Amino acid sequence: MTVTASNTPLDLPQIKGVKDVPYDELFVSGHRTCQGCESALVMRHMVKASGPRTIVLGSTGCMYVANTTYYTTPWVVPWMHTQLGASGSAALGTAAGLKVLMRKGKIKDEKINVIAFCGDGGGADMGIGAISATLTHKDYNSLILLYDNESYANTDIQLSSQTPYGAVTTFSPSGTDKRLMHTRWKKNMPGMMAAGHPESRYIAAGCAAYAVDLMNKIRKALELGGPTFVHTLDPCPKGWDYHPQYSQELGHLAVETGIWPLYEVIDGVCNLTGPTRQIAEGRKKRKPVYEYLKRQGRFAHFADEDVEHFQATVDKMWTEWLIPGVIPFTIPQKDQTLLRIDKKPLHEAQKTA
Amino acid sequence: MSNIVKTDPASITIEIVYRGIFQKTLAQRICRSVVLAARKRGYTGTAFGRYGDSPERNGVPAKYFAVVAINDLELESSMAKYEPSVVDIAVAVDDTLVKGVESWAWYGRQPIWKPVHEGGAVLVTSDKTADQVLAQTDAAERPYLMGIVPGLASFAGLWVFKDDHTDYRVLGALAKIVPDWVRIEDVKTLIQEQTKDGSAVASAQGGYDRTQLRQVKVGEGTTGHEVLQFEKPGWTTMRPGVIVDARKPGERNPYYKKYGARTLRPVVNFDTCIKCTMCWLDCPDECFEVTAEGHYEVVYEACIGCGICAQVCPVKDCIVMVDELKFEDNDDKWQLWKTDHDAYNTWFEQKSGVSADPKKVALASNKAANAAPGANPTMGGGDD
Amino acid sequence: MAVQIKEKQPSDVETEQLATGCEAIAEAIRLADVDVMAAYPIRPYDGVMQAAAKLIANGKMDVEYIVADGEHSQFEIVKHACAVGSRVFVGSSGVGWFYAMEAIAVTAGLRLPVVAICGNRALDDPGAFGCEHNDALAVRDLGWLLCWAETAQESMDFALTGWRVAEDKRVSLPLAIGLDGAFLTHSQQIVKIPTQAAVNSFLPKFDLGDRLLHPDNPITIAPQVDQDWLMEIRMQNDQAMRNALGVITEAHAEFKKLFGRGGENPFLDEYMTDDAEVVFIGQGTLSLPMKVAIRKLRKEGHKVGLVRLKWFRPFPTADIVKSLSRFKAVGVIDRDYSFGSPFYGGVLYNEIRSALYSVERRPTVVGFIAALGGREIEQPMAREMFDKLTAAAQGGLASGDMTHWIGVRN
Repeated sequence: MTVTASNTPLDLPQIKGVKDVPYDELFVSGHRTCQGCESALVMRHMVKASGPRTIVLGSTGCMYVANTTYYTTPWVVPWMHTQLGASGSAALGTAAGLKVLMRKGKIKDEKINVIAFCGDGGGADMGIGAISATLTHKDYNSLILLYDNESYANTDIQLSSQTPYGAVTTFSPSGTDKRLMHTRWKKNMPGMMAAGHPESRYIAAGCAAYAVDLMNKIRKALELGGPTFVHTLDPCPKGWDYHPQYSQELGHLAVETGIWPLYEVIDGVCNLTGPTRQIAEGRKKRKPVYEYLKRQGRFAHFADEDVEHFQATVDKMWTEWLIPGVIPFTIPQKDQTLLRIDKKPLHEAQKTA
Repeated sequence: MSNIVKTDPASITIEIVYRGIFQKTLAQRICRSVVLAARKRGYTGTAFGRYGDSPERNGVPAKYFAVVAINDLELESSMAKYEPSVVDIAVAVDDTLVKGVESWAWYGRQPIWKPVHEGGAVLVTSDKTADQVLAQTDAAERPYLMGIVPGLASFAGLWVFKDDHTDYRVLGALAKIVPDWVRIEDVKTLIQEQTKDGSAVASAQGGYDRTQLRQVKVGEGTTGHEVLQFEKPGWTTMRPGVIVDARKPGERNPYYKKYGARTLRPVVNFDTCIKCTMCWLDCPDECFEVTAEGHYEVVYEACIGCGICAQVCPVKDCIVMVDELKFEDNDDKWQLWKTDHDAYNTWFEQKSGVSADPKKVALASNKAANAAPGANPTMGGGDD
Repeated sequence: MAVQIKEKQPSDVETEQLATGCEAIAEAIRLADVDVMAAYPIRPYDGVMQAAAKLIANGKMDVEYIVADGEHSQFEIVKHACAVGSRVFVGSSGVGWFYAMEAIAVTAGLRLPVVAICGNRALDDPGAFGCEHNDALAVRDLGWLLCWAETAQESMDFALTGWRVAEDKRVSLPLAIGLDGAFLTHSQQIVKIPTQAAVNSFLPKFDLGDRLLHPDNPITIAPQVDQDWLMEIRMQNDQAMRNALGVITEAHAEFKKLFGRGGENPFLDEYMTDDAEVVFIGQGTLSLPMKVAIRKLRKEGHKVGLVRLKWFRPFPTADIVKSLSRFKAVGVIDRDYSFGSPFYGGVLYNEIRSALYSVERRPTVVGFIAALGGREIEQPMAREMFDKLTAAAQGGLASGDMTHWIGVRN
């Protein structure tokens, strides 16, 4: 990556442990989020990790409507609304603006973090095109954070492409005739972003229940620069229907059951992190998905067969995918040799020939 | 024959003040039933939620309304409104709501009786006496009737409505307060039709029989609650470009405090605290502040009572969630612990019902937290 | 992508170029030292993006040039670049303009002075390339300044004036410049390119002041609002649009002083109106064939003239009233449609009618829907319109028969 002034990495050292987490709050109390809102916690950790020299762009969704009610705000850092499908463009436009103004000497040349956040609806549905485009603009430093509470929780809890199989939403109620109205499997957003954008230096999947892991992922994204993407799974007491006090627990369960793998892809190299790594290495046993499903009212209508289907599909992620929980395809048994293909770059191969 | 003064002879307006999401279905059911019961005798009506509460947030106070009128003409004055400015009866389906209603920024903290006209009624579901509830209610500016429907607040979940008959008992109570508008026989017929369940009908009768009424005189109640009122600026003084000043570092949002969303508050045993930071780290509302000693004290002005801190705290009974009505103020308590250790521990034990002495085996453990309203809303929430 | 320039080429002498309206505007982008622009292909506007790309590739200007993934992204990108203090440019045409409509609406709501061109193009379906004004007119109620150019020269002049007006703190609203597809976007004319020094003295640096989104100026922009606040915010935008009239007048006077162009009146140009009894009024390039027609009619002794409306938003009501109330009848030529509107008239027709309502001796106003889909205004059409207009002036038209489609096959 060409290092020009506005690409100078900011000094954001990795956080050693909970004691090392910065105290300064850049997203303060008095935001109108739900009790136990894990997405609000993601916002808090996000700016804790990035520090005060940050501009945050927020696309429409809970973290817009709930957090910033005119004529007031919970944000200490500069913050601007962007449209539901525009988080990618907001990040790109802001980063491009800062870069050119610094190059032309119209503003002070310094590192300013640009973070655009979107919900699962704004990011994985409407905004996916713009996010994808932004992840190819390697000259601009921006982080797109997708906070995924698995529904359009702000508009009345309607299903999105991130809503898990079978879950009840206002668009997928469980009725006397149809037990399940929603039978699509959750879109593999971080995996898709990682696989499709080779020049993005950092793509990660995190969860606020693993706060330090999440903050470090945000810092790595900002340090490496270029367009980066972090996807967090945020338990939502409102849409998932559980008591707010259990938000952390549900985050842990999502990871421990293997439903939400934690990982990061740095310059094309994938590392599984936290319990996900332990599961992959066989040091930790995956919990049955039922442990997770039974805790939430949105699955209360599940029959045994639904739980079994859910379990079977999650098992597939771990037993059949090329990279467990990340890259959802592999190659036929008879072609296994292809995985051991001659990896020598073409130009060298020619030299030796 | 009403137990309240009716200002409008041709219609009655009832508002349900409830906890967002937790009690959304409950409030809706009560209001719909009020209208449908009145329909039995040929009256008409409307039921609607307050648009400004939507999208609702767990715990944040919201309102639902039922208006009954003798005919369509009389109903018109209550149509095409977000919220009636005056109501005959305000119903709080969670007794901690009597500490005031703050629903969104610039709304301020409003007394539970604010829209109730002189001689109207405030009905509260509570396991406490009218005097205990009144002690936490803002001092009355007008006389009104307070009714107590015995029972704990119902925190049935959203997708799965765990019916604990609160709705039926409230309907019975309303029939007792305004029998000429909500007739117990209509209520019972309606519930019988809807549920085919004798126990539901009995609950309505129970609400009718067991609701205690108490006249509240001007000045009765507390003056101890924070006054939170705002004057909105106009177009000439508002910043152009839809811009708002950012919060200053260390500042909290003065226009929306949010503690009114709290039904339980965490109390901390600083003796057993191991300073692990988990409560502070996992709080979605930034309400903990670290002390010089590295303890984490709760800023009750900011805490909304989600209970996460009590759940993530690794030390048994170090953080206990306690009924909000047991507290008169939002004062931070860590100073007391610093200056008068024993006084603090007495306070902690008296509030939490748990021993402050680390050596003693606590009896309550985190039962307090797990007994939190809605702790087991459905198959969701509970430890199973 | 960005292009670093070794050194700026000083352009200290006024030059001439044979350029399309799009190329002329690309020169304006260079002279205005635009910081960020976002491109996406659609005819006919995108000539400007092609021309700008060349200037960047050849080191003639330093602009962050972003090829977006669609018009919605295009307009969002410049909106956000503008919020951090960049001077920006963007544009689109026809359905592309509509694809960006959400971003277009919020840009006005945010009071961000984005300058855009709308290369006027008929809306699909059916797909068409030709000129119609309905695309640009779709923003007329949103708080966008809106003007229409007649020549390549005026396209550039509007752009340079545009940044000055849009970025003025009393206005701070986005501007859309209408360029008739093909006739202006794709036809080359002689264009005077002013010197950098002259432009610098005319166009101040863009300064958002305390509205700048930057860590040194912590603000929150556009929080969710409810009925308790929105009317006050709309009122602020209404005031900004009212202020624009005065700011445009100032800028026009200053521009004339510096460059000697711009006509008598900033908002409308009058042609052969002094002793005219009836006049036509319209926007954009249709004035050119109409001037030819008017000269012919004058030779025949008819007292007819033409008024060309330059600014549609803010609508120069006072100037329109002052000008048109002098005539017996006014023929409004709309290169747009407004199906089901009063008298089935075009958009401009009904705006002119309503502007003249309070005039004591108000002229008869006749509407002509003409030249849709890029169809040319041919002389027989002008003659047909003139006949209908004079008939109306003599009260010969039934009052219900106020709008005429011109040059349509039966």
